[in-house]
Amino acid sequence: MLNITKNTNETELTVSLTGRLDTTTAPELEKELRDSLDGVTTLVIDMTALDYISSAGLRVLLSAQKTMNKQGEMKVVHVGETIMEIFEVTGFSDILIIE
Amino acid sequence: MIELKHLRKQYENATPLKDVNAVINDGDVISVIGPSGTGKSTLIRCINMLERPTGGQILLDGVDITAPKYDLTLARRRMGMVFQSFNLFGHLTVIENLMLAPMDILKKSKQEAYDTGMALLRRVGLAGREFQYPEQLSGGQKQRVAIARTLAMDPDVVLLDEPTSALDPTMVGEVQAVIRDLAQSGKTMMIVTHEMNFARAICNRVFYMDEGGIYEDGTPEQIFDHPKKELTRRFIKKLKVLELNVESRDYDFIGAGAEIDRYCMQNDIPPRTKYRIRLAFEELGQQMLLPLLGRTPIHVTLEYAPTEEQVTVTVAYGGERFDPAEGDNELSYMVLKRAVDDLAFSFDPEREAGNVVRVLIREKA
Repeated sequence: MLNITKNTNETELTVSLTGRLDTTTAPELEKELRDSLDGVTTLVIDMTALDYISSAGLRVLLSAQKTMNKQGEMKVVHVGETIMEIFEVTGFSDILIIE
Repeated sequence: MIELKHLRKQYENATPLKDVNAVINDGDVISVIGPSGTGKSTLIRCINMLERPTGGQILLDGVDITAPKYDLTLARRRMGMVFQSFNLFGHLTVIENLMLAPMDILKKSKQEAYDTGMALLRRVGLAGREFQYPEQLSGGQKQRVAIARTLAMDPDVVLLDEPTSALDPTMVGEVQAVIRDLAQSGKTMMIVTHEMNFARAICNRVFYMDEGGIYEDGTPEQIFDHPKKELTRRFIKKLKVLELNVESRDYDFIGAGAEIDRYCMQNDIPPRTKYRIRLAFEELGQQMLLPLLGRTPIHVTLEYAPTEEQVTVTVAYGGERFDPAEGDNELSYMVLKRAVDDLAFSFDPEREAGNVVRVLIREKA
């Protein structure tokens, strides 16, 4: 299960994720982002309540990063220890802005 | 020597022994181990014909004791049995329990039976108890009397059916000491037991029973340290096993995840390990194999060894040789590597699911 909550502040979009970002839920996030990024210059992905991420979730983040590179910036915030491990081992910690 | 040939025992609702074949050599001390309900007790009760086999033969020094006209008392003189629940005669004193069968069946004199009985009571550490009744003895003492009574018939073969199972734990040691002494006497012995360390200490062979027969027969070193067969390994290592079959591309990924979560909770597997198991399952099964495979099903086995606190995930699949390390899904492979301490791939073209990936889930941070 993945819950996606969106908050817009002018051209900044914050997407808060709760639950699991895996094979079954990654397509939901991909669709949400695809439908929401027009005109957005700052995308913030809040992972405070994200319990799990797999490569399927990483691919969605990578795709969002590529989009945002063309129109602004993307930040990932409140990353837990376990998910940070995955970012580090896959090199995502060098690609993403993690705060 | 005892030979078991295609031994079968069938009850109305169960067939504990389907096809048992074995040779028991003179002087063998054999521990019979295995999960409950796999026919261990049935086997030794069949060997001395307390239970008549449904089929097959038992040859005692070449003579078929299952033959219809065979005189069973001949076999029973040579095979003594020690039961879980002692089965002493409560109305007879200890020494009378020991003298009864030698006088009745072996036609020994009263004095001879008494002298032998007293010597055996000394051997099992119960001299001085000869005129007591069974009810005056502890469980451990009763079982030692039962062993002495069996020895009073001077059998060639001693069969012991879970001799310490009914005992208070404080009394197990005294009975095991007597059995250990007996095991060094050169008599042929078969003992059904759940006490693995004891089995290992006294025997020269182990029968692991499962699937209706002697599933694996080997030395204690082989069975306890290097079991060759899968079910033996699971039993010895007390493995908790979860098997998942991915039958098609539309299989229930969420349901499989829930099963893994439940398995982890039941076995008290820490959350960090659970996370890594889920990662290994998803990256290997879902991300790397499933998209490539018309070769489904993918068979996934999780094994948790509580004593070592280790989880192994084995993924087996058919088709051409495919090593995930050589595939083009580098991201999934990287994530998978993070979740595991060891990753081994093997391929056996002779087997239906010839590709096997075995990973040891990482335990440390």
